[in-house]
Amino acid sequence: MKEEACRVITNTIIQGRYYLMKLESSHISENSKPGNFVMVAVSGSNDPLLKRPFGIFKTDPPYFYIYYEVVGKGSELLASKMTGDLVMVVGPLGNTFPEYENENILLVGGGRGIAPLYFAIEQYSGSNNLSLIYGARSKDDLLFTEEIGKFALKEKAFYTDDGSGFTKGQVTTDIKEIIERNGINITFSCGPDKMFESLNSEIGSLGISNFVSMEAFMGCGFGICYSCVVKGSDGKYKKVCSDGPVFRMEEIKWQI
Amino acid sequence: MADLTADLGFIKLKNPVIPASGTFGYGGEFLQFFDLDLLGAFVMKGVYSEERGGNEPPRIWETPSGLLNSIGLAGPGAEGLRGIIKEVASKTSTPIIVNVCGGNDEEYLEVARVLDVMEEVAMLELNISCPNVRSGGSCPAQSPSDTKKVVRLLKENTKKPLIVKLSPNVSDVPSVARAAEEAGADAISVVNTFLGLALDVKNRKPVFKNFFAGLSGPAIKPLALKIVWEVAEAVNIPVIGIGGIMTGRDVLEFILAGATAIQTGTVNIIEPTGSVRIINETLELMDELKIDNLEEIRGGLNI
Repeated sequence: MKEEACRVITNTIIQGRYYLMKLESSHISENSKPGNFVMVAVSGSNDPLLKRPFGIFKTDPPYFYIYYEVVGKGSELLASKMTGDLVMVVGPLGNTFPEYENENILLVGGGRGIAPLYFAIEQYSGSNNLSLIYGARSKDDLLFTEEIGKFALKEKAFYTDDGSGFTKGQVTTDIKEIIERNGINITFSCGPDKMFESLNSEIGSLGISNFVSMEAFMGCGFGICYSCVVKGSDGKYKKVCSDGPVFRMEEIKWQI
Repeated sequence: MADLTADLGFIKLKNPVIPASGTFGYGGEFLQFFDLDLLGAFVMKGVYSEERGGNEPPRIWETPSGLLNSIGLAGPGAEGLRGIIKEVASKTSTPIIVNVCGGNDEEYLEVARVLDVMEEVAMLELNISCPNVRSGGSCPAQSPSDTKKVVRLLKENTKKPLIVKLSPNVSDVPSVARAAEEAGADAISVVNTFLGLALDVKNRKPVFKNFFAGLSGPAIKPLALKIVWEVAEAVNIPVIGIGGIMTGRDVLEFILAGATAIQTGTVNIIEPTGSVRIINETLELMDELKIDNLEEIRGGLNI
């Protein structure tokens, strides 16, 4: 991992409040795998002070991509970056989803948590049989559905909470049938903690291998500030940034 | 080229920049970013005698140009730290300082004794000021007499140079500094974080479970600089200035206020190579201002 000034190549709206940023870094683009993230400085000043974590969405050396939703001051500043601007980035950070061959893997994404899963589709769809379940609040929050459509997946199911655009429901609505139908023995998921909690109660005891890539508000991103902790099932805190962000589902103590 | 040496009396550092406790892990985490030998010294995260998990999240909160934290000194305990110290020491010759914590005087001594016999440890920093672990945020640094008692206990029973880290959350920091000096402290480091409060209006609750949290970052620099100046006026032992240092110019400001060396904190969290940048900037600024060495300007305000 390195800390470097990366050039912004493009920074454009994908849909609604969501932006896709293409940045240049040989180091990050050549050394990232699905699950890895970067810490990005949103301002060149001391306010806001902290860098923000973003999952790597895809790489195309010497370029890599992140996306974000404009929700506050930090993301507004990021949205104002222009082609040619330099932003300080630390990465690649964290661990990755395990690499498999010839397995039936189900990817489960919630809301903004599609970055490592899209990256996994791009990297692993040639070597494994992948299926995808992806859900969000509404069709405006379901991202990259067109791009995902270009990959050969065994099964894809999209859901929205309000039923707009896609089937009304959650990622757990048909998950057991989808697992059964596709002979799934491994899942990779990314999304909010609430989604993981429902997933855990729905599929946590099926005897399959479940890997979750967690989101957290972070200080440093590389394990020294001890802020982004989650309680492990052994009762000890784990750092999302450096012990994760990918954990086996059973390593984490879920609320329900 | 200017001479960056910082002479604490009991040790000469190649430069005055020392990453602070709690902002630099155990040092080894930064090897992937730079050679630790570039630093004047570094302080390992504070350690108690037993392993600790730290506080219930949330643990940090961003403020304008500042950072509130309530980490709660998570760590492996003194015995557990020994292996970590040996591992890092095998990769650098930069002096290692360990931040010593305790729930009472006996625990401070217990931790200090474990570290005192390690040749890999250059100095101890006595953390009598952590705002995030005791109820009500009180620590020995709240009172000159409690400070004197614990510093004397450590000085009588351990051999390593002892830096005493003070809290800014008291009405009279210089009197606590003088108490530490009288009890035999070899240096003072000041300031630890300022107690602050973050509130969640929607839920009408404090953000942190511990209510108060410690504020750091550039937001506190002028407050810290004032206290460093006051303490440097009050004692004859070296003062290590801490508080929101982000640039080489900040370093020279603290030296001018009377500090012999400085500690970098929050900058290490937000910019892993920040301390190295600060060393380079300090050197460049000294050359630009034709300052040959730090002693030339230390405490040398034209007033």
